[in-house]
Parts: sequence; C-alpha cells; structure tokens
Amino acid sequence: MIPIKIEGLTAGYDGRAVFRNVDLELKDRDFLAVIGPNGGGKTTLFRAILGLIKPMGGTVKVFGEEPAGSPPGIGYVPQNENLDSEYPISAREVVLMGMRCKKGLRPFYSKEEKEAAERAMEYAEVSDFADSRISKLSGGQRQRVYLARALAPEPKILMLDEPTASLDPSMKDCTYDILRKLNRDGIAIMLITHDMSSISHDVKRVACMNHRLIVNDAPEITEEMIALGFHCIPELVHIGHCDCGGHNNG
Amino acid sequence: MVDWIAAFSMPLIQNMFIVAAVACVLCGAVGTFVVVKRTVFVTGGIAHTTFGGVGLAYYMMSVIAVSWFTPMVGAALFAVVSAVIMALPMVSKKMREDSVIGVLWSVGMALGVIFMSLMDKSVVTPRSFESILFGDILLVGSSELMVIAIVTVLSLAIIAVFFRDLQVLTFDETHAKLSGINITVMNMVLYILMALTCVVALNVVGIVMVIALITIPAAMSNMFTDSLKEMMVVSVVLSLIMAFFGLVIAIGADIPPGATVSVTMGAMFIIAITIKTALAKVGRGKAE
Repeated sequence: MIPIKIEGLTAGYDGRAVFRNVDLELKDRDFLAVIGPNGGGKTTLFRAILGLIKPMGGTVKVFGEEPAGSPPGIGYVPQNENLDSEYPISAREVVLMGMRCKKGLRPFYSKEEKEAAERAMEYAEVSDFADSRISKLSGGQRQRVYLARALAPEPKILMLDEPTASLDPSMKDCTYDILRKLNRDGIAIMLITHDMSSISHDVKRVACMNHRLIVNDAPEITEEMIALGFHCIPELVHIGHCDCGGHNNG
Repeated sequence: MVDWIAAFSMPLIQNMFIVAAVACVLCGAVGTFVVVKRTVFVTGGIAHTTFGGVGLAYYMMSVIAVSWFTPMVGAALFAVVSAVIMALPMVSKKMREDSVIGVLWSVGMALGVIFMSLMDKSVVTPRSFESILFGDILLVGSSELMVIAIVTVLSLAIIAVFFRDLQVLTFDETHAKLSGINITVMNMVLYILMALTCVVALNVVGIVMVIALITIPAAMSNMFTDSLKEMMVVSVVLSLIMAFFGLVIAIGADIPPGATVSVTMGAMFIIAITIKTALAKVGRGKAE
C-alpha cells in the first residue's frame, strides 16, 4: 500500500487556500525533500497530511486511510523553535511521549514502552544525555531528541519540518547520517528543507512548493522549480563529516 | 505571649491546620499544571467568578429556601461553568483569552454583589464580603472539610489517571493531538481541575488570594526541579511547609491567617529567586 497518496489537495486556513490542487505520492522507502519559499505552503502540506487541518478539497490518504488527528504509522519531527525553556522535563521523558500513541489510560509507561523509547534514543544517539533537562541541550541535541520521540513507536513514515534549521554544519551532517540510516532500514522520509546539500547527497526525490507543487523523481532541482520558487533558492551549506561523536553512516 | 500548647490543643486551630494541609496538597499538585501551562490568570479569572456563585447560594438559601445550595456548591457551580467556557475551542482558539478572563472575572463578581443585595438577611446571615474575598479559615466546618477532602482525593485520582496525557498536553499540544489525545476533552479536564482547586483554596485564603496558594509553591518548585513529577511533589511539600509557618505566624501575631499565608509564600518566593540567581552565578563562575 502506498504510504501517502494525495490527490487534488487544496488546503489553507480560515477559508483561504494556501495551495490548490496538489497531487503527491510518497512511495515505500522514499526520501523526498520539499523545498520552496516561506509562506509557499510546505508546512500547511505537512499539517494536512498529519490531519492537523482538514482539506478544503481533494483527499489525503495515509496507508489508505484519512488522517483524522493521529495518522497511523507517521512519526513527526517539528521545527525546533517553540520549546518552553521553563518546562521541567528530561530528554528521556520527551522521547517517552512518543509512546503515548499506544492507547490506554495509565499513569505510567509500561516496560515495553520504556524499552522502545530506549531503542529510539540509541538510534538517534541521544542516550548519553537522556536524563538532561531538554532546555539545557543544544539545538542539535534537542532536534535528535524529537527525532527519537518520533521513532519510538516505530513509524513507517518519518516527516521532518526543517530538521537542520539553525544547526551548525557538523550537527547537520549528524542529522543526515541518522536519516540515511533510517531510510536504508526501510522508513519512508519526507522533509521540509532549505538545505541544498541534502538534496544532492541524501534525498531520492525533490518537490518544490509555492502555492502549487512540482515533483522531480530525481534528486535534482529543475529549472521549473527555480522559476516557481525563484525568490527563495535553498541555501548552500557546508558538507562535511560528522564530528559529534555519533556514527557516520554516510 | 501565645501559649502554643494550649493553642494547638484547640479543635478550632487543629481544624484550621487540617483544612490548610488538605488544600495545600491539591493546590501543589494542580498548581504544577497551572504554572507549566501558563494559565495563572485563567485560574485567577475562575477564582473571582466564584463570588457570583457564593452570592447566588445565599440568595437561593434565603429567598427560595434551597438549603443544599450552600456557598461552596454555588462557588463550585460558577467555577466549573466558567472553566468549561474558557476551555471551549470556540473561546480558547477564536477569542482573546485575556478578554474572556476579564469578562468572566467582572461579571462573576458583579453577580455576587447583586445576589447578595437581593438575599433575605433575616433568614440567612451571610459571611462578610471581607471573609469571602480574603478568607476565614477558622469558619470552615467539619462538613465543608469533608467536601474539601473528597474533592481533593477525586482530583488527585484524576491527575494520576491522566498524568501522561496532561504532561503531553502541557508540553506540546501538537504532539498531543498527533498522539490521539482529545485536546478539547483534556483541556476541559484540566480547567475543571483548576476550578475545583480554586473552590478548595478559597476556603483557606479567600477568593482574591487563591492565586497565591495555587501559583507560588509550584513556581518555586519549577526553579529547582527537572521533571514534572518531581515538581509536583516538591510543590506540595513547599506548599505544606509555607502554609504551616504562615498559620503559625498568624496565630502568634494575631493577624488574618489567609493573608499571612499569602505573604509568607510571597516572601519565600523572593528568597527562592535570590537563591536561584546566586546558584546560577556560582555555576557560571565555576564554568569560567
């Protein structure tokens, strides 16, 4: 079954469409980067896929089902900017939150849920600072904690909203190392990015969103895409080796 | 000089400490969510609407002779209704929160004044405005204490059952929604807990100073703890300690207990900020 299938999707807020008539398929083991200018509708597209907003037209199917609130099999990594730095919570507790999608009214997480969270933390290389308060971590470490939270319930699709925004080059490399590993292990990945280096080195397909969507089945930005999103060509960034202590699987 | 042994052997004083202890346990626990969700002024708004409920209760008891509609029932009714209004998505998402708080706050207080002016004072003698607004813990009877205890146990049970959901909701609402948590229902649960806590706390410190009991221990705890559970436990302990010393000072100096507890908590909050700032400076010094 196709992980994500979008047909004729129109979505927006308060009756005003941000984009219209978008068609898109995220295939099995896909690695799709969505680029485009701010305000072009990238995050709105994600919100529609996640079921956080209702489509104004067209359909979104996640594994054949409409995503009403909690789409099955999707792990989501939000942008790393809305954290309440005063909130008393450790990285481990944030990762455990990923297991809340397993239903049941219990005050505590089960042994199995804790083990799944530990596995996700090892995968995302956050075990070393699992007991640190989330607000005391660097931007890159925090991003990997959110990645571990998304991985904890073992999703088949991973959606990331600008996972490397405001990270230093080595942290970006670390993040893409982990994403490459995940993709090789069979997880379909869809990410919003302004990071040009990731497009040529890591992703399998590229889509450009600016109120409408163009998809290229190769990891290249086409002239048509540049014309569509001309006033926001993705930034060129450093490409280097991971030196954050994690494994380099590149 | 106060004879402390004689004072503590008085049933009235013992009752006062028990009421304060029960209220502090609930305020410490629910206050934790109030502080991390930044809904202190929502709680303040809910607390002030209870004055309307107290007034309505006196009116019902004196004019319509509904004896079960006590001031605590009236306060709980107004608190829960205002909490539900605040938690409704059409209010919380579509309207300015502070404007809604302002409306509920002022209308609730105004209704209280109107109902109390319409009541028949020859049938029921109401507590004074001062006692309702600023608290009179010595007036809390055994039946009210029983109600406070039941509300506290029920509220703590709700927190225990929904703890994970409340943690996800207060930390990351988008993730809560994606996890399948019904945001509207869970916000409603939290706001109703806040309403019930206001009703319990106003017995100790009165309507105006409810916020002190709910906010200060939790805010202090937030400065020194790294997890929500830890924050909740420390908040309850701090609340109990500060209320105890506040009441002891009130007895010793023969001043109003509710106000003294609030001032004690305020003073301790300032000391906590000072300690926190000093510790941060020491930490920075070591790092350099």
